[in-house]
Amino acid sequence: MPQFFLNKRLIILLVSIIILVALIGFSLRDRDQLTWPEQFVKDTSGWVQSLVSRPAHYVAGFFENLQDLQNTYQENEVLKKRLDNLARLEAEVHALNKDNEELRETLDVQGSLRSYEPTQAIVIARNPDRWHELLVINKGQANGIESDMAVITSKGLIGKVKNTTPFTATVQLLSSLDPKNRVSAVIQGEKNLFGTISGYDEEEGLLLLKGIPFDAEVKEEQVVETSGLGGVFPEGLQIGKVERVVPDEFGLNQTAYVKPEANFYDIKHVMVVERGMTQPPEGELTEGAEEEEL
Amino acid sequence: MSRFLLPILFAFLFIAESLFVQLFPADLFNNGSIFVPHFLWAAIFFLAIYGSTKSGILYGFVFGLLFDIVYTEIIGIYMFMFPVLTYLFSRVMKALQTNIVIVSLVSLLGIAVLEIGVYEILYLIHRTNMEFSAFATLRLYPTLLLNLVFIIIAAYPLRRRFERYADELRND
Repeated sequence: MPQFFLNKRLIILLVSIIILVALIGFSLRDRDQLTWPEQFVKDTSGWVQSLVSRPAHYVAGFFENLQDLQNTYQENEVLKKRLDNLARLEAEVHALNKDNEELRETLDVQGSLRSYEPTQAIVIARNPDRWHELLVINKGQANGIESDMAVITSKGLIGKVKNTTPFTATVQLLSSLDPKNRVSAVIQGEKNLFGTISGYDEEEGLLLLKGIPFDAEVKEEQVVETSGLGGVFPEGLQIGKVERVVPDEFGLNQTAYVKPEANFYDIKHVMVVERGMTQPPEGELTEGAEEEEL
Repeated sequence: MSRFLLPILFAFLFIAESLFVQLFPADLFNNGSIFVPHFLWAAIFFLAIYGSTKSGILYGFVFGLLFDIVYTEIIGIYMFMFPVLTYLFSRVMKALQTNIVIVSLVSLLGIAVLEIGVYEILYLIHRTNMEFSAFATLRLYPTLLLNLVFIIIAAYPLRRRFERYADELRND
């Protein structure tokens, strides 16, 4: 069938399928950095988007404020009750902080996994197709943002920096389905239990915390935080609360379903967190040490 | 001035999609359904029908590539899907009347094919493990509903704009 192969459109289609596969393969492979044309396009569009998104948020915020006004009275009542407790709590935290500092000084401990430096950023775009849960924020390499830094809102951890360009950065949310998206976490309790957050149940909106020992007892409502042991995130960033626990497919471990504290949809302001304690260079780690993505 | 109007219009739709996802209340019906705006492709399809097929495919390619780089970071999927579907469905339209109702319905069909095509590619490369039935109820139907509303609102103005563009092309 010589005519069949001479068909120009068919050849164009075949060639474009080959290019498609090649390009997808190129973008899926492990790459540390985006290529410069991509960075250029992202920066340019980021600039335009930040011009548009701010006024849009102001307008949307105005309508939200109007809605809020309706509930103001009831909210005020509730908040007043909480306020009494708050003063007491604040004094307690202050005292504890001071205690902690003094004790650290006497023990001569420098730095902690908990220390971090936050950078404020505004969300300027979000992936509309929602397959890859990605956000674009208005701070980039110029502001000291690097890939793999943790990203939090006031409520808790939402994700990590995936890629950076000079003036923007892409944030991958915890809810996106990427096997590389893993966070080492701890369930707080009398005995701390460690595992990794990997995976997200889209239908229920719950995160999966895997690798908990099979004989560990986990109760509902226990708090899950980052453990800081992955070497990238600081310790003590809140993730969520345990909803239920099931044995995993082989019965060797347990998997906890964690209800995330932060809202993955309504995100406007985020903080990018730089870990205070530096990671030791790779050569210094002993060979037997467990390797983890995050 | 009118030469820049079209790129500006598409750039606006490109940004509007992302803004829409940020501002639209996510849990509108409280059942986890996901509304995906495909305003950009709908407009590109209208351009291909009422303006010229060639520029429709060209805009599809350029904005598909832009979409991939800026939003998904997997280059190729939308860059491939936008122009191919534009070409395919403009061929389908040759067999049908260019009635605004029919064009709107065909563009909605195109959005369904686009969404399913992207789902199949992502399923192939393990970026999603959603079952097809879950995909249909959680994503496909809400998405079609949302885009139907957009097409009803935008069909007439888009047609007028692109018909004028076609006139300009002829006069040049």
